[in-house]
Parts: sequence; C-alpha cells; structure tokens
Amino acid sequence: MDELAAVEIIERKKVHPKHRLPRGHVTIFPNWCKGCGLCVEFCPTGVLKQGADGRVIVAHPEKCTACRWCELHCPDFAIFVTDVEPEEVVQ
Amino acid sequence: MRRQRRESRVHERYLRHSKKFPNIWCAGCGIGIVLGAIIRAVDGLQLDKDDVAMISGIGCTGRMPVYVDFNTMHTTHGRALAFATGLKMVRPEMKVIVVMGDGDALAIGGNHFIHAARRNIGLTAIVVNNLTYGMTGGQYSPTTPIGALATTAPYGHIEQPFPIAELAVAAGAAFVARSTVYHVRELEKYIARAINVEGFAVVEAVSYCHTTLGRLNRWGTAPEMMRRLKENSVTLKQAESMSEEEKRGKIVRGIFVEQEIPEYTRLYDRIIERAQQRTSLQVETA
Ligand SMILES: Cc1ncc(C[n+]2csc(CCOP(=O)(O)OP(=O)(O)O)c2C)c(N)n1
Ligand code: SF4
Ligand code: SF4
Ligand code: SF4
Repeated sequence: MDELAAVEIIERKKVHPKHRLPRGHVTIFPNWCKGCGLCVEFCPTGVLKQGADGRVIVAHPEKCTACRWCELHCPDFAIFVTDVEPEEVVQ
Repeated sequence: MRRQRRESRVHERYLRHSKKFPNIWCAGCGIGIVLGAIIRAVDGLQLDKDDVAMISGIGCTGRMPVYVDFNTMHTTHGRALAFATGLKMVRPEMKVIVVMGDGDALAIGGNHFIHAARRNIGLTAIVVNNLTYGMTGGQYSPTTPIGALATTAPYGHIEQPFPIAELAVAAGAAFVARSTVYHVRELEKYIARAINVEGFAVVEAVSYCHTTLGRLNRWGTAPEMMRRLKENSVTLKQAESMSEEEKRGKIVRGIFVEQEIPEYTRLYDRIIERAQQRTSLQVETA
C-alpha cells in the first residue's frame, strides 16, 4: 500500500475513535520529569497519568494522536512523541 | 490531509549536556517552555549555533542561557540589554537574543529597554512576563496587576501595570508581538520572526509563577495557571471588536507592529565611513 492510501486510512480511523490506531509513540525520560502535571492535564485524549511518585507514565499508548501538546509544553524536555509510520499502523 | 512531520528532540543538539538537569526551575514553570520555543525557532531558521548569542540578566528567566550551547552571557540584573548592545556593536552580523524577566526588563532595566527600542538596535528581546519577581520570592514587579497580593503588597497592589508590548511599540521598536506559553506554537513563530527582523524586536511571552505570586493569590497549580492563559487571552483581531470593558484583564495576542526602520549598527557603519572619509580628506589637504 502506498503511503498516501495508508494516511487516508488513518484519517478515516480518526472519525471512529473506537477503532483508532496509535499515531504517536510517547517516550518519557523519568529522570527529567518533575511531575508538574501539565501534560497529564492537557493531553486531549488521556494518554498520560501520574505514577505513584508523581512522574508521568503512559497509561493509554493506543490513544495518542501525536498532537504533540505534551512535547511542546513540557518545561523540562522530559516527554517526546515520534510519529508512528503509516505503514506500521496499517500492519 | 497529510500531517506535517516534525523532528522530535531538536533541543538535544542545543542543550549543554555538561549542566545539571533537570533544570533549576520549579516544576511546571513556563520559563522552560519559552526556552523550548526559542530553541525550535533557532533550529527552524537553520542558524549556526556560533552565530547566535543569548544574553540575560538575573532572575529565574536569567538562568536560561546557562543551559544552551550558543554564545552566552549571564550578566547583572537589569543590564542584559546594555551588554547585548555592546556585543551587537562589535558583532553586528550576530543574532543576539536577550532574555529577561519582567522585573529585569522593565523595573531596573526599564531605561535600557525603551532606549534600545528608540535606537532600534538589532536585538531580539524576549521578555518572560510572569507578573512578578520570581527568583526573589514574589515581590511586585512593573507588570503585577492592580489588586494582586505580593510579598511587598500584603494589602493588595495599587500601581498600574506596564503593558509590555504596547510600551515597546510606543518606544519605537521595529517588531513587537505577544503570546503566551500556552500558545507555544504561536510563540515560536513570533520568536522566529523577531530573530529575522533587522532592528529591535520584542516578544512578550506571558507566563506565570505559580510558586510565588500564584500561591499568594491562590491562583492555583501550574496546570491551573496554564488554563487561565488559555481562557483569558484573545487575538488582536478579536480584541478589535471588543469594548474596553470586555478587554479588561484579557491578554491580547498577536503582532502589534512590524516595520522597516533603519537599524542602529547599520547607521553607525555609515558614521564610521563618513568619519574615515573626512580624516582621509584632511590628510590629503595637509
Ligand atoms: C542590582 C540588583 N538588584 C537586585 C537584585 C535582586 N534580584 C535578583 S532577581 C530579581 C528580580 C527577578 O525578577 P524578574 O526579573 O521579573 O525575573 P523572574 O525571576 O521573575 O524570572 C531581583 C530584584 C540583584 N540581583 N541585583
Ligand atoms: S510536562 Fe514534563 S515535567 Fe511535567 S509532568 Fe509532563 S513530562 Fe513531567
Ligand atoms: S502527543 Fe498529544 S495525544 Fe499524544 S500523549 Fe502527547 S498530548 Fe497526548
Ligand atoms: S520561582 Fe516562579 S518564575 Fe522562578 S522558577 Fe519558580 S515558578 Fe518559575
């Protein structure tokens, strides 16, 4: 499947949240996370959660839309999102 | 529509890995968000790190240059623009970014600020406006709102705040914009534009200090103060159709001015040329 067609599928999945596939992969560097809660509070799809020590954990990886709110607003460069390749999603 | 792919972890190429991380700022402080926006703006402009200088005074915001691998100067409180003016005069080709707190830029450094704007010297002044003196514990600053409690205003503040962006426009800056740490993509865009301006460019980055002024006034946690930025701001366009009453207490975001006026170091080069021509004439006639 060519990339464009794959992207189309992802866009369609966006309309059906139940069947949504992950589009972003979240990485957290716990040593740099201060547990401020900004990313948890503002993640539009509830991917993130604060763990027992206050630091962030990825509770629902499948819900990440790769909007990057967390990455752009983390004051500590402690969270990153990489796009999941359309091919990976389709497989 | 195809999503735009962006490189992640851009900052890794810009941070000084010899420094202690996590950074010194309180958990959730917006200063780190502004730092991220500056780094991405510089990266987007594809500037060489050696062609960029970041200069600060003293304060929480003043700690910013410590962490980045540009040419950096961490100077004295209020004097960042004075040091930056010196650097720009000898290295006019350099992109000089000056980061200041609102106290740094507008209280002790207020004269430097208006006169740098009046001269239109080619510096990018980024003022992180957290409405207070964060580092020293929440004293009122020139941008603290009327009525707020501060450690130096235990009965409520009675002075009018300076609107930083409007002040910079009146003082003659070539470029002036305001955004917030919530609207970080917009902030990044304004910073990139400001860096490219030939002349004095000001970006006011509205932030918060939840641990001093915020706590005193019970404005809530960092996420709560972040939400206030989202809910209390309007664009310049929206503000145009609002009454003065409706605009009260709102943060107006946008580009306030963007004009081409002669930049100071360019004009100074001409002075040097003229002076040299005159002396060579004198030598010839002697
Ligand atoms: C000449 C001088 N006066 C006073 C101080 C004390 N001082 C240190 S930081 C600061 C104010 C910090 O507020 P601001 O500039 O708004 O930066 P913020 O910490 O809020 O980022 C003051 C008054 C100093 N270091 N030097
Ligand atoms: S925004 Fe950053 S520092 Fe704050 S909780 Fe999230 S990952 Fe941690
Ligand atoms: S990229 Fe967006 S959806 Fe994914 S974790 Fe971050 S804020 Fe949530
Ligand atoms: S004191 Fe205020 S401005 Fe300074 S790091 Fe803490 S939250 Fe930020």
